[in-house]
Amino acid sequence: MTELSVSTTAAGHIPQVPLPEAPPKVTVRNLNFYYGEHHALKNINLTLGTNRVTAFIGPSGCGKSTLLRIFNRMYDLYPGQRAVGQLMLDQTNILDPKLDLNLLRARVGMVFQKPTPFPMTIYENIAFGIRLYEKISKSEMDDRVEKALRGGALWNEVKDKLNASGLSLSGGQQQRLCIARTVAVRPEVILFDEPCSALDPISTAKVEELIQELSEDYTIAIVTHNMQQAARVSDKTAFMYLGELIEFDDTNKIFTSPSDRRTQDYITGRFG
Amino acid sequence: MAVQGDVMEAAGPYDRAKALSAFRLGDLTFYWITRISAISVLLILGGIILSLIVGAWPAMKEYGFAFLWTQRWAPSADPPVLGALGPIYGTLITSIIAMLIAIPVGIGIAVFLTELCPQMLRRPIGIAIELLAGIPSIIYGMWGFFVLGPFLANTFQPFMIRIFEGVPVLGAVFAGPPSYLSLFNAALILAIMVLPFITAISVDVFKTVPPVLKEAAYGMGCTTWEVVRSVVIPYTRVGVIGGVMLALGRALGETMAVTFIIGNSFRISSSIFAPGTTISAAIASEFAESDGLHQSGLILLGLLLFVLTFFVLAGARLMLMRLEKKAGK
Repeated sequence: MTELSVSTTAAGHIPQVPLPEAPPKVTVRNLNFYYGEHHALKNINLTLGTNRVTAFIGPSGCGKSTLLRIFNRMYDLYPGQRAVGQLMLDQTNILDPKLDLNLLRARVGMVFQKPTPFPMTIYENIAFGIRLYEKISKSEMDDRVEKALRGGALWNEVKDKLNASGLSLSGGQQQRLCIARTVAVRPEVILFDEPCSALDPISTAKVEELIQELSEDYTIAIVTHNMQQAARVSDKTAFMYLGELIEFDDTNKIFTSPSDRRTQDYITGRFG
Repeated sequence: MAVQGDVMEAAGPYDRAKALSAFRLGDLTFYWITRISAISVLLILGGIILSLIVGAWPAMKEYGFAFLWTQRWAPSADPPVLGALGPIYGTLITSIIAMLIAIPVGIGIAVFLTELCPQMLRRPIGIAIELLAGIPSIIYGMWGFFVLGPFLANTFQPFMIRIFEGVPVLGAVFAGPPSYLSLFNAALILAIMVLPFITAISVDVFKTVPPVLKEAAYGMGCTTWEVVRSVVIPYTRVGVIGGVMLALGRALGETMAVTFIIGNSFRISSSIFAPGTTISAAIASEFAESDGLHQSGLILLGLLLFVLTFFVLAGARLMLMRLEKKAGK
């Protein structure tokens, strides 16, 4: 019962009129994924709209993080994992074995569950990523770093200690540093893998606000265990269960009148 | 623990005090045993330094600081002339060359094993490295004497001489008559001997890098090389430098293999293919037949090695502190 009331409260944050359909940025067709013999994702079909936030919800082990890690081919780091099907980023076939992964990952950035600042200064954490792709002068770099840190809503907190270690920041600040770092290389898509699960409520609110701002310029996919969060930040929501995509629709609709029984059960807290 | 807990709960506050006093004796014993163990390290270290100084005193009085920069080593002259420059030079040169070879190779192997190696090869290579560490040093000495020495003298050195002939500094570094016994031979053997330390420790610390941190770097579009250089090594630098220092300590003090193949010549030559000596090799080869001032001189050499190692370790600490400052800690 409490869960139900919470979800209706969450629904209050959703614009009552859904945004118009956006042109697709990422298109997933008949995507299957295997961990060795284990069939982890079954026939996934969906699109991520350009400059929209798409949330992935579902119980642990349903495959939502797995799906996210296909978008930037992170699974390639581990032998025995493979994806079959079609996955397009605009006109690029993400699953093409000949695709340059470094360039793909420049276009598809990722923010992880735990903050992952690199073992270097705050300034270097940002400059490091930019330097991978661009050769620019010191003053240009200063501008880019400042812009990225402003983009990550972190500038005012760190502008006086850019030479402190990234590890010296608080958890919430570290996560915003990671977001700033991801934004700094100017990707097209940003993947968030449970970005707030290690953060306190205030930091969570800041990160959510940031995600909404970022959606003006970037296509965003976010995996979350927190349904209110999905309701608050996303335009579309995908509910996954046991490796299948059960329902994919406007966030508003998913949280108010889901068409599948299992979605209904999950968002009202009956399982998961 | 569970049993004690039950007893206390059942018996109330009075018995709790009794139980505590019983623990107090145990605590006190434990405290003193650990404290004495820790203090004994200081005592032993102090004792060693003291006995070295006492043993070296006659030589110190006789030669003073000139001992450090005298090259001549003539214990049978009358009075004996002793100078430590040759052994100090040999010790430093062999260790430096050994580390120049062993650090990149050792860390390279560790990177390969942790980041690139197919699962199938990982165990065999890992075990081979461990075996390398287990080979007694005299075996390395014999191998250096019978296999590596002839190869260096007959093939490698003529090759280097041909390449660098006439080049100002490098020409002199590789010049000279071929010799099985040389500083370079000893340095190579040292490199092989310390390699397992660097690799084993680097592998261990590389494994402590959280996978998600590496994923984050790969997620930025880094290549494996960039991930290793910018994330893995900075994250583990304290551990890697620890391994390097352990290796350097071993290289500075290694005796048996070096004594076998370095040639025990106190003369300093510009060529790394010339015979030389190190502090430990000099002590090992002469100590048994020494007496009087000669023996005291050898003990003084030992004291110098001690001091040298101390400065090297202090230098490493300093470097570590600089690095941490640079990384913004």
